Amino acid sequence: MTGGVAKLSQRAPVLGGLGRDRARAVTIVLLLLVVMLLVLLGSAAFGSTWVPLEKVIAVLTGGGERMERLVVLQLRLPRVLLAALAGGAIAVSGFLLQKVTRNDLASPSVLGVVDGAALGVVIFLALLSNESNALIVGIGWQPLAAALGACAAVALVFALSGRQASSALRLLLFGIAVAAAAKSVIMVLLLTGPIYRTTQAARWIAGAVNETNWGEVQLTALLLVPALVLALIAATRLPPSDLDDVSARSVGLNLPVFRLVVFALAAALTAISVAFAGGVSFIGLLAPHMARLLVGRSAIAGILASALCGAVILMGADLVVRVLFAPTEVPAGTITAVIGAPYFLYLLLRKDRLNG
Amino acid sequence: MNSSAPIALTPAVNRLPLIYAGLALLLGLAVLGSLMLGYTIYTPGELWNALAGSGTSEADTVIREYRLPRAVVAPLVGAALGVAGVIVQTLSRNRIASPDTLGLNAGASLAVVGASAAFGTSSLFGLSFAAASGAFLTSVLVFALAATAGGLSPLRIVLVGVTFAGLMNAMVEVILTVNEAELQQLLFWLSGAFVDRPLSLVTRNLPLLALGGLLAAMLARPLDALQTDDATAQSLGAPVRVIRIASFVAVALLTGASVAMAGPVGFIGLVVPHAARALVGSRHTEKLAAAALVGALYATAADILARFVIYPTEAPVGAITAVVGAGLLLVLLRRRAA
Repeated sequence: MTGGVAKLSQRAPVLGGLGRDRARAVTIVLLLLVVMLLVLLGSAAFGSTWVPLEKVIAVLTGGGERMERLVVLQLRLPRVLLAALAGGAIAVSGFLLQKVTRNDLASPSVLGVVDGAALGVVIFLALLSNESNALIVGIGWQPLAAALGACAAVALVFALSGRQASSALRLLLFGIAVAAAAKSVIMVLLLTGPIYRTTQAARWIAGAVNETNWGEVQLTALLLVPALVLALIAATRLPPSDLDDVSARSVGLNLPVFRLVVFALAAALTAISVAFAGGVSFIGLLAPHMARLLVGRSAIAGILASALCGAVILMGADLVVRVLFAPTEVPAGTITAVIGAPYFLYLLLRKDRLNG
Repeated sequence: MNSSAPIALTPAVNRLPLIYAGLALLLGLAVLGSLMLGYTIYTPGELWNALAGSGTSEADTVIREYRLPRAVVAPLVGAALGVAGVIVQTLSRNRIASPDTLGLNAGASLAVVGASAAFGTSSLFGLSFAAASGAFLTSVLVFALAATAGGLSPLRIVLVGVTFAGLMNAMVEVILTVNEAELQQLLFWLSGAFVDRPLSLVTRNLPLLALGGLLAAMLARPLDALQTDDATAQSLGAPVRVIRIASFVAVALLTGASVAMAGPVGFIGLVVPHAARALVGSRHTEKLAAAALVGALYATAADILARFVIYPTEAPVGAITAVVGAGLLLVLLRRRAA
């Protein structure tokens, strides 16, 4: 019990001596920001027609010809921005979960949020279709169904955990259980349902950002920005990872309550981003580890780097499916792993003191 | 991770035989049920006639050709995955790890989809061979990469594993999306099934399974040392690196054999270790034995349920293992809290 406090007090001088590491972390975060902006511009430029970079910039600053304005502003920018927002949010959610559960395999998908949202979408498609398999309401309601499904799943996970909700392992396992149950119901609904439903649902489950409009982007941004700010605040308060409940209380931190708040925040971030972008959860597992390998264990740098990595991966995946698989609409979510994994493996296998 | 510490490391010894006997009895009943229950329900008399005699009535054929193979495949696959799950969770020191975490199932799926797309493989034995080779190649790849740069720490094993799992699943998705029409029939294989697996498939994979099981049994005591941190294990005289390599081989053999027989059946490797620990404690000698029994029972029961959930169609057994496992997990976790 005293061990935790002792470790806590030992940390301060160590952190103070790491000025060079801090400078390195800041540099890397700034570099990632530049990379993200480049990918963003590149995504607006590439596609079925090529819009030169200077014209993209002209359009963004209010100029450009009518055709270019239509392509960049109406067709490309919404999906690019949504990809950036959703990718970033999922990554932050994964970062918070891995920190607070102290489990390196924790990710948004093990909280049951993603599969709950998928079940919401499948039920929406099943209930609101008429005999000829046409939807009786607009497809625009699909994100709402996803959000409802996500909320229901999170509520179920918390309700099942009850008073044990603050125990990280229990919550993870309950989340996995709920996710698995939702996945099975989806599988059965899809097997027994018409083929149209299967393809539509499979697209959502894989995660895709095509056919995005500005309204969706605005709504996502409106919901995500406050959540991201809260996440940053939570990140600054994250206790050292070897602190146990009792020691935490002795330094005035109620760890169980803190964990619950962080879980809820992570669930909200995931629910918002999957509602519009679908099941792109592999980013939530990969991006935080990538950030750790890049900037070390500092919380604020870690969360910023996670968000930027996540945004770059999803935008990159979307760009690749648009350019490489052009007529076939491969959902961007399917290849997020292909985009992120090679670089991640390089980071992981590089001889580095951060690997532990 | 220590939040569930109240489980004693050594259970009351006199309870062990009872637990094993109970599990074995339940397993026997489940296998019997697997032979009798289904689209048509047979009486024990009919069952006896079919298995002992050489009659050629419809009941005889159905039992011998359809029911018997799955009553053999399901428990074998369940036991293999349960044992592999225990080893993976100890190896990675992570209680939400499973053979899927090491990317083995994803590798098997990729090999199967790749073989069908590139060479038009469609025979069961071809697919089964592809699955086993995919799983082995992946395990070699993951292991080699995790071992480079002096690593092989639990964290590195897990991270390399999940990255490969993600990468290979992505490639499976892409191949399936691009060749949608031809590969539709693979979807059922990809969710795992015990249906239509001839007994010869079992006999072919039995050597792998036996070897993996033997290795697991030999690893039981060394694995206990791996539950502590590396420094402690080394000071106890445990050759940590050798144990990790051997564990990897055992997991690859067990998982490879089971995907070859039934495709990637999920969730067994995740839940069974938790159930085994709740039953017999944390020592591997007992835990591995219990995991084999619980895994066999679990897979057989899920296989029976799969026949009735969306009767008369068969549900994919992977869906059932997940739902049943979710329920089991809920019971286990609730009980332990009390």
